[in-house]
Amino acid sequence: MHRPASAGDDHAIVGENGAGKSTLIKVLGGVHQPDAGRLMVGGREVRLSSPRDAFDKGIVVIHQELSLAPHLSAEENIFLGHFPRTAFGLVDRRAMRTRTRELLDRLSIRIDQTRPVGELSIAQQQMVEIAKAISLEARVLILDEPTAVLDETMVETLFALVARLKAEGIGIVFISHHLEEIFRIADRVTVLRDGQRTGLAEVADVDQAWLVGKMIGREFPAHAAGSRVTGEPALEVEDLGLEGVFSGITFTVRRGEILGLAGLVGAGRTEVAQAIIGVTPPTTGRIRVFGRKVRITNPNVAARLGIAYVTEDRKALGLLQNRPVRENATISNLRRFRRLGFLRLGAERSYVREVIRRLDVRLAGMEVEIQTLSGGNQQKVLIGRALSLDPKILVFDEPTRGVDIGAKSEIYGFIEELVASGVAVLLISSEMEEILRLSDRVLVLRNGRVAAMLDRGEATESRIMHAAALADGDAGPERP
Amino acid sequence: MTAITPSRPLGLTTIADVWRRTGVLVALILLVIAASFLSDRFLTVPNLLNVLRQVAIVGILALGMTFVILTKGIDLSVGSILGVSVVLYAGLLESQPMAVAIPLGLAAAMLAGLVNGIGVAYAGIPPFIMTLGMLSFARGIAFIYTGGTPIPILNESFYDLGNGYLLGIPIPSLILIAVLLASWVVLTLTPFGRCVYGIGSNEDAARLSGVPVRLYKTIVYMISGLVSGLAGLVYASQLSIGTPIAGQGYELDAIAAVVVGGTSLFGGRGSVFGTFVGTLIIGVLANILNLTGVDPFVQQLFKGALIVVAVFIMARADRA
Repeated sequence: MHRPASAGDDHAIVGENGAGKSTLIKVLGGVHQPDAGRLMVGGREVRLSSPRDAFDKGIVVIHQELSLAPHLSAEENIFLGHFPRTAFGLVDRRAMRTRTRELLDRLSIRIDQTRPVGELSIAQQQMVEIAKAISLEARVLILDEPTAVLDETMVETLFALVARLKAEGIGIVFISHHLEEIFRIADRVTVLRDGQRTGLAEVADVDQAWLVGKMIGREFPAHAAGSRVTGEPALEVEDLGLEGVFSGITFTVRRGEILGLAGLVGAGRTEVAQAIIGVTPPTTGRIRVFGRKVRITNPNVAARLGIAYVTEDRKALGLLQNRPVRENATISNLRRFRRLGFLRLGAERSYVREVIRRLDVRLAGMEVEIQTLSGGNQQKVLIGRALSLDPKILVFDEPTRGVDIGAKSEIYGFIEELVASGVAVLLISSEMEEILRLSDRVLVLRNGRVAAMLDRGEATESRIMHAAALADGDAGPERP
Repeated sequence: MTAITPSRPLGLTTIADVWRRTGVLVALILLVIAASFLSDRFLTVPNLLNVLRQVAIVGILALGMTFVILTKGIDLSVGSILGVSVVLYAGLLESQPMAVAIPLGLAAAMLAGLVNGIGVAYAGIPPFIMTLGMLSFARGIAFIYTGGTPIPILNESFYDLGNGYLLGIPIPSLILIAVLLASWVVLTLTPFGRCVYGIGSNEDAARLSGVPVRLYKTIVYMISGLVSGLAGLVYASQLSIGTPIAGQGYELDAIAAVVVGGTSLFGGRGSVFGTFVGTLIIGVLANILNLTGVDPFVQQLFKGALIVVAVFIMARADRA
């Protein structure tokens, strides 16, 4: 089931979820052993029996989920397992500090190396992990969707780091859903589909359309056109605030409308959403739902008011990993299947079958554990969970994060379908293309405050970025 | 390429689940076959009924424990709560009829569970610590109530609960099976049971999905308390004496039965049928070691090894 891949300098690998990228990474990282084919590192054939073995041979995989010890500082993390020793055999803190500083300076990484890494931003943690790999003399660095968790300014910093690593002669294998990134940093690209290589090219010789063609074997759908006809206000938020997080947030979402919520990571978008649905109730301000003033103290209250939320953090806040797809799809509204206190399992199954059909979830059956599904299919199931509430207002928080292009356009189509049926949608996204493509209006947040409200006609990438990053100068905002 | 497999029979959910259940069941069957070769007396109706009676108390405790462990919790206080209920039954039966003594004993046990639940779910105390506290506290109550001296039970109609037969089956075994069936219905056929699995699988996701996590966790500990009181009923009746040391160490036997039965200590995975089979495995092992005259001290080694090996196999099955 495996495919050939020659890992050279700055090589990008793209493909839809389920195309075999993750499996390929596991083979390269020594987790799985290939059934056929050869793997060469530095011109010599190698066999990797375990992740440790891959590591010893200079191959380091940086996963989306970082593997740092959150309570230890950057320097402790970097030297974990091979601390410099003093003459007495104790950890030589001074040597550790100096060597870490040298390393970080060399890579131009600017962080507080003595703070517990758990207190650093995701982007900074990622850099610590890369620095650690470099300190262990990695020759090939495999970055598995490193930008999925970063906002645009952080992506820039990461790319600058990747460029320096290239200059140092380190081979980079870069896995991404974001095609524009490939053109920015990769020299060569491999496209996978269904476990097969469908394309291998010098990046300079190809364009996005070629990549997309190789990935999905069909044309990328055209952008939605025109403005929607919107109805009465569904969700009105006035002067909403949460002590120390955000304040003065005012906006309205109408029936049949998508309000985009843009901003840099840390601007408070998710926090606003979670205040609205009652995860962390706001400390000030008013919320009206279809004109009626409401107090939403927990997600259950929100659900009863017809507000559903699809989380940005599938793993931590969404998935019941070791439970079947069926249970994942219905946990939000078991009331729907209850009669005389008991669950009607037949009704539940037919509901789930309907969700699977409507959202085109690809799976072996509704009884498989959700953790076995690809990101896109997991997301579809979680959307199905939100729909079980028959919501009038839907809050999508990064609805296509970690989702492949095929599933992405399906999810877009689905959101548009919902809106057309009169649902009000609040769409939080870090992807400019997503915001611009779907939103009727765009609300931009910066440091917990409203920075701009743009109509469809005036919303452009540069305007949004301008509003989102303006006050903080060239370094980009970094919230404590 | 949307594929929908035909719906499977109730309860048999995922492939891992099937393995979990049949794997444990296969282990029990192999053990029974081995036991019948080792001793002629093993595969006789009186002996098998005897096993079923002997496992009843720990088996009942283990069923309540399963609820708690499914939510990723633990209840170390079940043995002590059993102890409190036992001395209460004995003390109350000195002056009261069964119809008063039994409900009061059960209510006290459930109250202890309620305190555990509030401590865990609302005060945020780790289950291990909260129930460790209750283990000591409840035991203390049992000693204070009796003044350290066992209270004899003289009400003879009370003896039937632990020693009697109904349709040729020991009443404690019938109670065990009734609790098993009730637990199964609650866990698989009610929204509450579904949420118990959800909470154990991912508590934050369950909360975000509108599951009343704190309330349900509290209820889970109340169930464990109530069930401990029920096990105490069988205990008090079998021994016809209310001793304050009743049930000491039973929490570990109950946890062992749950774990051998395939329920994950990490929450969200497992079943009460697994726990029942796990209880039987431990019971049959003890029985055959007795029948073949193995030194009771050596029996401890077997039990310890069984627990570790069972969990080892389970962990491998999960990975497969």
